[in-house]
Amino acid sequence: MKFFLCLILVYTFLTMGCVRSPNSNSSTLSPSTKSSTPPAVVTAASNSEQVNLPPREKEIKSESKSADDENFDEDEAAGEKAQIADPIEPFNRAMYHFNDKLYFWALKPIAQGYNMVVPEVARISVKNFFSNLRFPGRFVSCLLQADFSGAAGEFGRFTINTVWGIGGLLDPSSNKELDLQKQDTDLGQTLGVYGVGQGFYIVWPILGPSSPRDSVDVVGDYFLYPVSYINPWYASIGVRGYEEVNGTSLRIGDYESLKDAAIDPYIALRDAYVQYRLKKVEQRRLKLAPSKPEEKNVPSGDSVSQKN
Amino acid sequence: MKRQLTGLSILVLFLFSLPVYAGVPLNTTQVNVNKVLDVLRDPQLKSESAKETKKQKLRSIYKGMFNEIEFSKRTLARNWDKLNAAQQKEFIELFEQVLEKTYIDKILSYTNEKIDFYKENIKSENLAEVQTKVITSSKEIPIFYRLILKDGGWKVYDVVVENVSLVQNYRTQFNDILAKNTPEKLLEILRKKVKEQ
Repeated sequence: MKFFLCLILVYTFLTMGCVRSPNSNSSTLSPSTKSSTPPAVVTAASNSEQVNLPPREKEIKSESKSADDENFDEDEAAGEKAQIADPIEPFNRAMYHFNDKLYFWALKPIAQGYNMVVPEVARISVKNFFSNLRFPGRFVSCLLQADFSGAAGEFGRFTINTVWGIGGLLDPSSNKELDLQKQDTDLGQTLGVYGVGQGFYIVWPILGPSSPRDSVDVVGDYFLYPVSYINPWYASIGVRGYEEVNGTSLRIGDYESLKDAAIDPYIALRDAYVQYRLKKVEQRRLKLAPSKPEEKNVPSGDSVSQKN
Repeated sequence: MKRQLTGLSILVLFLFSLPVYAGVPLNTTQVNVNKVLDVLRDPQLKSESAKETKKQKLRSIYKGMFNEIEFSKRTLARNWDKLNAAQQKEFIELFEQVLEKTYIDKILSYTNEKIDFYKENIKSENLAEVQTKVITSSKEIPIFYRLILKDGGWKVYDVVVENVSLVQNYRTQFNDILAKNTPEKLLEILRKKVKEQ
C-alpha cells in the first residue's frame, strides 16, 4: 500500500515538468517544444536527440512560404504535438523486442488455439464481461473529469448489463433503444485532460508502450479493477492472462499488419501509440467542452464513445 | 403566375443545389470505395486464380483515388527537398509498392463488413476529411480519409486508421532514418523492404 503511494508520488513528480497549457494552438510551436525539452536535455548525447532537433530548427526559420509549405507546416505542427521524447531508447528497444517475441512465441499461438476451440460469439461475450468489470475505473475517471453525465451513464450501463446482460456477458445498454455507450476513458487520459503531458516514452515488459502519465493506469488498475482483489495472487494473474488471450484472439493480425507496414517497427509503434493517446485526450477534452470553436474539425463526442 | 414560377424555380434551385453541397469529397470517396467493394464481391473473381486480375483492377482504382505524389511529399515533409528529382521519383514508386504489398492482402481478405460513411469535414478550400467506420462483428474501426483538391478532383493523401495517421506514422520513421543517413540509404532500405515482402 505504502509502496503504491510512493509510486504515485514519483509519477506526479516525473510528469510535473511536462504540464502544458491545454489550449496550446497548433500554429504556435513553442509550447509543445518546450514541454518536451526537459527530459530531452538529459540525454543530449543519445542519438534519438538528433532526430528531433534539426527539423524543428528549420521549421522556425521558414515559417511560411508557399501554399504547399503552409500545408506542410500544418501537417508538421500536428506531428510536433504527437512527438515524444525517448531518452531511454536502448532500454525501450530491448523491451520492444522482448514483447515482440512474447507475442509471436507465446500469446499468438495460444490465442490461435483458443480461437479454434471457442466460437467468436462466446469470445465477444467474454470481452464484454471483462469490460463490464472495468466499470469502476471508467466511473472514477468520469467523476475526476467532472463528467457527471458520463459517470451516470456508466453507472446505468453497469447496472443494466450486470442484471439484464447476464453479469455483463451481453451488452444490452449499447443497443439502439437505450443507447448508453461505454465511456472510453481511463486515468492517464484524465490527467491528460487536465494538461499533464506524456513525459517520455516507456515500453514496459508485457504491458507494452506507455509513459509516466499513462502508467498511472497500472496503479489505478490495482485499486479499481476487481480482478486485482482475487486471492491468491496467482489466480488474479491467471484471470488477467486469460483476459489477454481472449482479447488477443479477437484482434490477431492487427499487430502483424502494423509491423509489416513499418520500415522501423519500433518507431512506428511508438508513433502510433503517441498519436492514439493524444487523440483520445483531445476527443475527451472536446466532449467536456463542446463549445470550443477552434476544434470543430474533430469528430463529435458520440463517435468517441462508440469506439471499440 | 409569374410569382408562382419564380417560387417554383427557386424551389427547384434549392432542390438541386442541396445534394451537391452535401459533399463532393464524401461522394468521391464513397464511389471509389464502392468500386473496390464491387471488385471484391464480384462472384466471377472469387477463384484463387483470379487474384492477379483482382489486384490489377484494384490498382487502377487506387490510381484514381489517391494522389501518390502528395502522399510521398507529405511523408517526407521537409526532407522532400533533400532528394533530387530522380530520387523523388524512385521514392514515390518504392513507397507505393511498400504500401501495396502490405495492404493488398488485408483488402483481399475482406468479408462483407459494413462500411458507414457518416461525416465530412471541410477543413479549407482544398482540404477535407471524410469519416467512415468499418463495422465488423466484434468492433467498429474508424477510418478517416483526408483529401486534397488538385486539378479539379478530390484525391486522398492520408488515411487515418483508429486515430493514427498513416502519413504521420511514416514521417516519424523517415525522419528518424534521414536524421542519421543519406537519402540514398533510405531508398536502399525501401528497396530491400520491397524485395523482402
